[in-house]
Amino acid sequence: MTDKHEQATSRDKIFDAILRAAPTVVADLNTIQAEAAAILTESPNARPELLAEDAAEALMRRVEKGLVIGTSCESIPSLDQLPETVKGFLEQYALPAELKVQDKPSLQSLEWVDIDTDVDIHNDNTVGLCFAEYGVAETGSFVVHSNETMPVLLNFLPLYLIAVVPKSKILHYMDDYAAIANEIAAQGTTPRNMCLISGASGTTDIEGVLVQGAHGPEVLHLVIVEDQ
Amino acid sequence: MHANKPENFEQNVSEALSQPNLKAVIRRTTDKAEAKRAEAIANFPGFENARIQGQKVKDHTIKYMAHYLAEFEKNAKAQGAIIHWASNAEEASRKVLEICRKHEAKRITRSKSMLGEEIGLSHALDNADIDRVETDLAEHIIQLAGDPPSHIVWPAMHRSREDVIKLFRENHKDPTYSEEIIELVRSARRDLRTKFLTADIGISGSNFLLADSGSTCTVTNEGNAELTTTPPKVHIVTAGIEKLVPSMAHAVPLLRLLTRSATGGEITQYITFHNGPKRQGDVDGPEEYHIVLVDNGRTKMLSEGMEEMLRCIRCGACMNHCVVYKHIGGHAYGSVYPGPMGSVLTPHLNSLKVANKQTHACTLNGRCEEVCPVKIPLPKLLRSLRAKSWEKKYEPLTNRFFVKGFAFIAKHPALFQLFSSCGVIFMRMFSKKGWIRSMPMTSGWTRNRDLIEPGTQTFMQQYKKMKKAQK
Repeated sequence: MTDKHEQATSRDKIFDAILRAAPTVVADLNTIQAEAAAILTESPNARPELLAEDAAEALMRRVEKGLVIGTSCESIPSLDQLPETVKGFLEQYALPAELKVQDKPSLQSLEWVDIDTDVDIHNDNTVGLCFAEYGVAETGSFVVHSNETMPVLLNFLPLYLIAVVPKSKILHYMDDYAAIANEIAAQGTTPRNMCLISGASGTTDIEGVLVQGAHGPEVLHLVIVEDQ
Repeated sequence: MHANKPENFEQNVSEALSQPNLKAVIRRTTDKAEAKRAEAIANFPGFENARIQGQKVKDHTIKYMAHYLAEFEKNAKAQGAIIHWASNAEEASRKVLEICRKHEAKRITRSKSMLGEEIGLSHALDNADIDRVETDLAEHIIQLAGDPPSHIVWPAMHRSREDVIKLFRENHKDPTYSEEIIELVRSARRDLRTKFLTADIGISGSNFLLADSGSTCTVTNEGNAELTTTPPKVHIVTAGIEKLVPSMAHAVPLLRLLTRSATGGEITQYITFHNGPKRQGDVDGPEEYHIVLVDNGRTKMLSEGMEEMLRCIRCGACMNHCVVYKHIGGHAYGSVYPGPMGSVLTPHLNSLKVANKQTHACTLNGRCEEVCPVKIPLPKLLRSLRAKSWEKKYEPLTNRFFVKGFAFIAKHPALFQLFSSCGVIFMRMFSKKGWIRSMPMTSGWTRNRDLIEPGTQTFMQQYKKMKKAQK
């Protein structure tokens, strides 16, 4: 078993060595924080340009230009249209009418007529449907946070994944998401996992050839809901 | 395949150069990465500014490392993480094994982590009779083949499709009989899926340690990290202390640099921040979450003038652009970290005595520094290691004799001109049709290529003649 004494000495040894090393400096908290903040003021000149001024528009253009691996997107006026959209998706890929819907009241309460929503996502042939917390235009990402209704695995087990992204929650840059994460942390409600997902699962490990659906989804479809 | 040793570098190199297909196999990956990186950067005019910002983030964190490390520890603990400290590789592996034993783990899944390789975790787990499942596709391939990794981003780049077909047919429960790459990937997906869901412990690395929130961060294209860290009861993170950054906002510029420099993509498909164990009411996630923070030579680098190397974000751009790496491949270096970054890291993780020859295998053409996303002056660091190796007398006596002899001659112009004019005559005696196929004392060069015939006169002879003509 781990020796308490050894544990203490390894930690002390590391801190001692760092503090003894010439390049490291001890300073008061304000100095350190001011320096750290100054570095971030450079971000506006050190990030890529977006494809449109409006964040939702920029995200959609990115996806449409094929810059987000294995991903398509569409926009619907309100959440009521979602079952119809999902049906269209299932037909497009000739999939059975089966769907694992995230256990979130706003999704569960929709009229899932003719679609079996009681399925096992461990089976690769199913489609997952999740509700994203945020979208990020810079990277074509959607963001999920683990919580009581959001299993992390819902985003990784199915071969097809549909992510609902509320239009009002689409951010311009990753920096904007980092600012939000900071606010969440300040409230002490940081979730176990925050996942930024930017495309379908892919690998180039065999002879450099890109194959989608390495471990996670092969196909990703973003549905932007305008009134959300 | 046996793992090469760093001290046998010269022998490893001649073995690599004698493999007929190796160069083509390496270039298939590195040339593509090089072209895609160039394209990604052409599409991002602010890239140079991002490099400057990225360097500043790392330098700032290194400058206040003790502060940020203490912050990280405090905040990760507040999230419910159990923190362990390890001074060296052996201690780090042992800490991980202790957690595995405590939970009587029979099967562990692992998502690719160079630090895990560095601390010898694979061997430690194998020796403890724990079923180790590598989940990154490339790591899965080299685990089946019994190979060490040959690149930090594409560890299985030395394996062909034919090799993979054979390995999967022999090892997968429900293998494919197709030779299509997509079917091979599906075969691995089927084989690994049940293992993901039945592992007792998941082990990951961390690309960043966020000091202000205590988060660790995994970055993958396959999504294997989340499948590794979510289903098991226990998640263990192993991370080098140089992975620290002040906050998520500070990790963002580095994320912009990392993917573009590594694969030429703009962003990896999956970036996940991990904070403590599952929260009350969470549908999935581990019940216990450990972070093993590893020094293993990093504080030594800090105190020995090598702090710039601690900026490294492990993108692999330096090896993709290295003329030496592209000829000899990753295995010849005899280390987890090959190429330019490896030649600087290995002497500190191992010792300069065993890994000094790698520091000489560099043309100092400066490509690695030009493409490094955080502007690490790799040629400068390699030269300082050469100087140190000379001071410590690690060079073989014959080398030392010749270098000293050369230095003496070079300091005496008359002697230098005499030797060089004799040299020209001597070399021309061995040349045929403009090329020298072999001559005494040059076998190191002529074994694998010809030497070009020198002109009839030395530089100084030509220079004097020109001066005379001008008068």
